[in-house]
Amino acid sequence: MADDVTAVVVDDHPVVRAGVAHWLSTADIELVASGEDPGVAWTGPGASAAVVVLDLHLGGVAPAMSELRKLVEYGRKVIVYSMRADDEIVLQCLEIGALSYLTKAEGADHLVQAVKAAAAGQSYTPPALAGALAGDRSDTRPALSPRETEVLVEWFQSESKEFVAQRLNITLSTVNSHLERIRVKYAAIGRQAPTKAALVARAIQDGLIGLDDL
Amino acid sequence: MTDHTVATTTRQVLLVVVFAVQLVLMLPPLVAHPHGPAAWVAYGLLTAVLAVVAGYVAAAVPTPGYLAVVPLVSSVLATTALPAGASFSPADWGFGLVGWYLLLVLVERPAALVAALTAHICFSIAWFAREGGGDVGTAGVVILSGTSFQLGVLVINRVLHRDAALAAEAAAEHDAARTREELARQREQDLRAGFEGQLGALLPLLADLADERASVADQTTRLRCSVAAVQLRRLFAENDDVPDPLLHELTACVDVAERRGVVVSLAVSGTATPVPTEVRRDLVAPMAQALAAANGRAKVSLLRTATEVRVAVVADAPETLPAPGRTGTVTVETNVHSGLVRSEARWRTT
Repeated sequence: MADDVTAVVVDDHPVVRAGVAHWLSTADIELVASGEDPGVAWTGPGASAAVVVLDLHLGGVAPAMSELRKLVEYGRKVIVYSMRADDEIVLQCLEIGALSYLTKAEGADHLVQAVKAAAAGQSYTPPALAGALAGDRSDTRPALSPRETEVLVEWFQSESKEFVAQRLNITLSTVNSHLERIRVKYAAIGRQAPTKAALVARAIQDGLIGLDDL
Repeated sequence: MTDHTVATTTRQVLLVVVFAVQLVLMLPPLVAHPHGPAAWVAYGLLTAVLAVVAGYVAAAVPTPGYLAVVPLVSSVLATTALPAGASFSPADWGFGLVGWYLLLVLVERPAALVAALTAHICFSIAWFAREGGGDVGTAGVVILSGTSFQLGVLVINRVLHRDAALAAEAAAEHDAARTREELARQREQDLRAGFEGQLGALLPLLADLADERASVADQTTRLRCSVAAVQLRRLFAENDDVPDPLLHELTACVDVAERRGVVVSLAVSGTATPVPTEVRRDLVAPMAQALAAANGRAKVSLLRTATEVRVAVVADAPETLPAPGRTGTVTVETNVHSGLVRSEARWRTT
């Protein structure tokens, strides 16, 4: 499985590209291309990379939402990797169809897990993203069960799934499936995107969530 | 004495005076001399005014100015009904009485009073001139004595009013000064009490250190210092004018812990909500305590949902645990899992 996962990194800081390259290499993820321009994800080796790690702030002031949208609409699996932890931007990226949103304060471990999950078409919810979802006050937010909310909050607060599992007296895989269900609920709202549709379809097939829950 | 009291008292006194004048001084000449029937009508009208004004005084309602028309009409009636040449003589019961009535009705309207009195006097003089036969000297004395007495009352009334206004002003100023003084004292007391209350562990610690009851070589003392440092830093941050005070206080506490070498990550979610100062204190306190005792790493988080504000800390802090329970509207929960302390303070916004 090691060589199956390929990634392309779009970031305007060389040091970030180098760092991400190193982190991915330690996890046996092949970085096929990297650059400061989103073009690297569309041409050459980057065009065939399974996962796109996209920085939202590519030199300009405005976040690169349109780049994200183009990639997602084309069916690319995108992880947003950003300096900013602004809840509104985070939720907007999920709505567009990013499979994960990582802040640069979150370390190698979360990035590697997010890339691996994205390569398999799955979502990954790091703690900061969990916080943004838990604090979501928008009118369109999906209805979460009390347990799901509690998992989100505890994960945000502790950054340790083992800790969450112990606290709530559930297994690690239950913690993960709660997080997955939440993301599926979010994928089912708002704009259509191939990655979001796939998330929902797979969750229903796997029996993770029923149609009634959406 | 206020303006209102002056007005009320003046009216009551005038009422008594007018009643006495009408009954004791003016009824005998009316009866004793051969007046025309109009004189009795005038007397009746005046008595009616007396009753009406008495009613207004009893009800504490101001006397309407148009009532002055009745004494003026009575003046005409009484003067024209006088026996020939009796103007300003002892038989002229109406001249003085009408003046008192005008005073009674118009005492709070000096300009109108002077105008009405002038009209009354002018008519009386005109009638006196027309009828002739009277003594001009006596008439002058009667007019002067009667009118000056009434004007004197008016002047005294005005002076009393002015003094009352000045007194009221002085009293209000005095009251305001007392209130300001009281407020300042209260504020200072609050501040002092507030600081004493929030300085918490600091004052006993300083006392112990000064008395050499505690030594910094001691691990417990160092922990107390650490707790006090975080408390103090939070207290300094409390009154800063910032858009998000709760986050500001959390950041202040995190800053102290980081200076101590603890690696702290602070995660914030949701938008800033207004949180009262006391609630902020209760929300931050458990986190501050755990952070003061933390070794190595700690994670502080602030979550604000539509209904709740939650401040949590997960830290490697085995030594002191924030006490679980409820202070005011804040609920604190503390547990230990796999060597990590998790303490969370929650406050419902609704």
